[in-house]
Amino acid sequence: MVVALGLVVAACGGGGVSASPSGSGTTTASQSEVASEQPFQSEGTFSPISYPDQPADCSADGYTGEFSQIRAVDEKTVEFELCAPDVAFLQKIAFSAFQIQDTATLENDMENHRVLARPNGTGPFMITEWQRGDHITMEANPNYWGDAPSYKTLIFRWSTDSAQRRVEIQGGRVDGIDNPGPDDFAALESDSALTLFEREGLNTFYIGFNNNPTIDGFDNTANPFAKEAVRQAVAMGIDRQQIVDGFYPRGSEVASHFTPCAIAFACVGEDWYEFAPDKAKQMLTDAGYPDGFSTTIHLRDVVRGYLPNPTQVATEIQTQLRENLNIDATIDVQESGTFIDNANAGALDGIHMLGWGADYPDQTNFLDFHFGAGASDQFGDKFSDITDALKIGATSTADADREAAYTDANNAIKQHVPMIPIAHGGSATVFQADVSGAHASPLSNELFSVMTPGDRDQLVWMQNAEPIGLYCADETDGESLRACEQIGESLYAYKVGGTAAEPSLATECTANGDGTVWSCTLRDGVTFHNGAALDANDVVETYAVQWDLDHPLHIGRTGDFAYFSALFGGFLNQPPPEG
Amino acid sequence: MLRFVLRRLLLSIPVLLGVVMLVFLLARVIPSDPCQAALQERATPQICAAFNARFGLDQPLPVQFVAYLGQVLTLDLGDSIRYNRPVADIIFERLPLTMELTVLALVFASVFGMLLGLLSAARRNSPLDVGTMVLANIGISTPVFVLGLVLAWLFAVVLRDTPIALPPSGRLSSGLALQTIPEAWGLTGMEGPLRAVLDFVSNMYVISSLITGQWTAFLDALSHMILPMVALGTIPLAIIARMTRSSLLDVMGLDYIRTARAKGLSSRVVMLRHALRNALLPVVTIIGLQLGLLLSGAVLTETIFNLAGMGRTITEAIQGRDYLVVQGLTVVIAIVYLAVNLVVDVSYGFLDPRIRLR
Amino acid sequence: MSEHVPAAVAPPREMDRERPANIWRDTASGILRQRSAQAGLVILGFLLFLAVFANVIAPFGPTDDIRYLVPPEHVNRLTPPCVHLLGCPASMPEHLFGIDGNFFDVFSRVVHGSRISLFVGFVTVGFAIVLGTLIGAVAGYAGGWVDNLFMRLMDVVLAFPALILAIAIVTVIGQGLFQAQIAIGIVAIPVYARVMRASVLSMKERDFVTASRALGESGRGILFRRILPNALTPLIVQGTLGIGSAVLEVAALSFLGLGVQPPTAEWGSMIGTNRNFVFSAPHLIIFPGIALSLTVLGFNLLGDGMRDALDPRLNR
Repeated sequence: MVVALGLVVAACGGGGVSASPSGSGTTTASQSEVASEQPFQSEGTFSPISYPDQPADCSADGYTGEFSQIRAVDEKTVEFELCAPDVAFLQKIAFSAFQIQDTATLENDMENHRVLARPNGTGPFMITEWQRGDHITMEANPNYWGDAPSYKTLIFRWSTDSAQRRVEIQGGRVDGIDNPGPDDFAALESDSALTLFEREGLNTFYIGFNNNPTIDGFDNTANPFAKEAVRQAVAMGIDRQQIVDGFYPRGSEVASHFTPCAIAFACVGEDWYEFAPDKAKQMLTDAGYPDGFSTTIHLRDVVRGYLPNPTQVATEIQTQLRENLNIDATIDVQESGTFIDNANAGALDGIHMLGWGADYPDQTNFLDFHFGAGASDQFGDKFSDITDALKIGATSTADADREAAYTDANNAIKQHVPMIPIAHGGSATVFQADVSGAHASPLSNELFSVMTPGDRDQLVWMQNAEPIGLYCADETDGESLRACEQIGESLYAYKVGGTAAEPSLATECTANGDGTVWSCTLRDGVTFHNGAALDANDVVETYAVQWDLDHPLHIGRTGDFAYFSALFGGFLNQPPPEG
Repeated sequence: MLRFVLRRLLLSIPVLLGVVMLVFLLARVIPSDPCQAALQERATPQICAAFNARFGLDQPLPVQFVAYLGQVLTLDLGDSIRYNRPVADIIFERLPLTMELTVLALVFASVFGMLLGLLSAARRNSPLDVGTMVLANIGISTPVFVLGLVLAWLFAVVLRDTPIALPPSGRLSSGLALQTIPEAWGLTGMEGPLRAVLDFVSNMYVISSLITGQWTAFLDALSHMILPMVALGTIPLAIIARMTRSSLLDVMGLDYIRTARAKGLSSRVVMLRHALRNALLPVVTIIGLQLGLLLSGAVLTETIFNLAGMGRTITEAIQGRDYLVVQGLTVVIAIVYLAVNLVVDVSYGFLDPRIRLR
Repeated sequence: MSEHVPAAVAPPREMDRERPANIWRDTASGILRQRSAQAGLVILGFLLFLAVFANVIAPFGPTDDIRYLVPPEHVNRLTPPCVHLLGCPASMPEHLFGIDGNFFDVFSRVVHGSRISLFVGFVTVGFAIVLGTLIGAVAGYAGGWVDNLFMRLMDVVLAFPALILAIAIVTVIGQGLFQAQIAIGIVAIPVYARVMRASVLSMKERDFVTASRALGESGRGILFRRILPNALTPLIVQGTLGIGSAVLEVAALSFLGLGVQPPTAEWGSMIGTNRNFVFSAPHLIIFPGIALSLTVLGFNLLGDGMRDALDPRLNR
């Protein structure tokens, strides 16, 4: 089937195709030749593909995904057949992990990993240079279908130290920085050469627990956090207001629910526990820990919008655990990637400090990723009342049904305490005052093509860290995603500086009556950076590569495609669970 | 002389083998599973078995070691698990910066160290001498990371808006065009090993802009390197200054110097013509011995000044369990280190024939 | 950061075995005559005083959240030093070195930090000396392939820049104060092994050793009763100089987040965790930095003095 697909695409895909992976001696024109000299031939050559050939069986054992089939109807129309309605469909397809890729680029550049460093998108900027460790240079795309950038060069730099970012912007060496240190807000605002843009806290900082009685690799045959009462006690024994007051910048707030209230149905159900240290101590005693216990606070020393002062907040939590609950915690700082791996694998004992920034502004993005049936083992065993409620919430279309489902989910989360939501952290970007169009996006996806850096012909942006790879279907960190967002585009996009999903590469996507088939019409005249024209088969291939574990191009950087499984439920051809 | 060099070369082979073995073992006993680190939530037992087979991690350790040794001998260092790119590429990108930084720091330390040592010895027990030696003692005792942070604070914040303000991070001002050497010399069509060498040198911004005569870029790149260079070079500078001084004073006490003095030569002439040459022998050795110190310090300097060199890459790779990057980088650093030590030994043997006979 | 040391250490000095008591007294007074040794001893004495009486000198504990201890209205995060004598208004509570981001009193933390750094220095170097001496003695005395094997092993360890090997070791055995000391200790072993081996080699054929051998003393007896006491001098000199390096290296590991874990009051860790405040609250970096330099300076000066006193060859 795969070989057949390759042949079909190779024979009929039009511009940009060189050799199919099956290597059956079809056309061998090089990419650059195609790009510059062969305009796209549409008439009579387009042969729409469907993936898979026959719709996937939604009720098949082990299949948890929400797609049944993705098919090109004609050159500019693509249909997504779903197993069940998805109210957040538009919000999801707007996400940057689902930027539309050129079929030929995927076929030529995936196996040799070139796509990780030289993505071929449709966006306003084209990558020209990636000086590893130092900077990424992008040039304005002269053939951009939308409003082209008003300047020539966009440069991404990075530094993990907020002090360094501050000095760079104050010294005028960069045009914009992300995440100024919370203690630097006042100083930066009083600098007349700079403008500070507050970013509302569309994120959550939480401290998580693994509820497994035993955790591999740790000698804790009796994990105190396996007991719900202990988790509840800690939830009441942490003074969250004090953390927010002491360590968060202006515009931050104590979390009343896991999801920030700006998102629909986020704050239905009961508010989080009040700070009640005496009651908490009593509960610990009742749970069999009258003298507290020893535990570990795991964290990574990475500054995020949700956690501007990692080690200091860790120390504050350590102090509070000792003062309020007599729990003796040691602090364990781990390397970022290792920490995330360990969290996903459920390998962190004790307490771990992590957070979440919205990708798309919907409850499913916050709750399903962490507590849904497809979530990782981060918090140990899942709670069926939470997963059930989330499933209803994600598949209901009526507002009343969703509200009821999320009320149940929020209340169940409060009862089981898989984690304690602490804060929605406000953060900021800082730009030189003469940069017009500057903004801070609540989704942290600042779009630099709408900015104008005074009379300069380049804009230099300094963020927290270097992107790991630029094929963002297989990236999860915001630093990589922000770079991808300048280069590629999805069918929909989020409003600049906002959260609403609006048409981008698709001019329109509409659902059928029961919400199980979405039909998207593609924009005319869109070309990729290599000159290939966008067509419906590109969309099908973009999704198929991520969706199907057996797809020969399901490679990426790690092969995880974590966002696909998280947002769309699961993969095609997922092997049955072990045992 | 040739026999001496050959003997030293042969002696370094078992050491190199030991280095590769030690790094290999260290990388393999690091806790946490590379499969899990690479595949995260997809790391089921079946997938990990396939993963381990693909990377040869299911073989017994000695077999793996021989395979890795074979790889290393063919200059194939494998692929980074984290970046999914060849380790050799990563080294090729990161090594030039570290080499440039250490060379600049060493030049800085040697020139100023010998100068200060010479002045101190010439005016023994003068305020200059006492001051220099007190400063040298403080310099030796100041951690690289403290000095680096204080320098960054001083030159980027306190002295901001003055002509001597210096950038606290990065290698080149953004947007400043720096042509690579092949571009500057019109050799972009060139291929093969020489091209690789040119590309490698191109990544040393100060040196490549200097030899291609791109003066704006040269001054900019140099200004970015000054603070890291001073932070990294201060301890070696102090060591070299002290060594120069004491070595000079030792030599000045020897008979032939006394004879020269007795002949009525001025002490300045005696010092510069007669004493300096002999006194510099131990100084040259001590300069060669600074390399380890510099490479250790580079880890910290690169972290503080946001420079993507070997030191920072290796700490990141160790923490990220990117085993093949750790192995590749460490082996390359050890080879460089051994090679420099060899050169120091050989040059010393060249300067002092007695060594050869031992 | 110990690479500069071995070249500067002299081969063991000839020593007269018949009058050990006088030797030690002479040695001690010789050392005390050195100006650098005097300065080093003063500094170290001061630090030792701080360490012993830290509880009395420091107004707070190293991890006391002072909001819980004093009226909190004047306690602000990152408050710079407030010294009444230097013009800080009397209405403000006095904090010699200011307050850090966790409402800890920096002066108290710096004072308490002296305990950790002194402890780290002695334990780390002690560990390295014991192992290094053992390896060097066995290698030197046995000779042949044993010597070759041990010394090539030491060469392997020396082929790495110290900090990089230490980082690798810490990654294998885990983060923490104890682990950091082990790692730095391992990295330092070859220096002592080499010094010891050189001593053993030079003593092996000396009269008093051959005499003992002729009298039928066992190899172990000769090694530990005859040779080791005579080899102690260079080891002690080397060790004193090495303490400074060890303190620096453990602090460097902590700075990188691989050694002492926050919020323990260790100077390197204090500097590392507050790196981002270097421009906005430099007092968080400068005071632990000075303390660290001072400690290393003390050990270096003492080591220099000892070397000069015990090694008349290097006359400076």
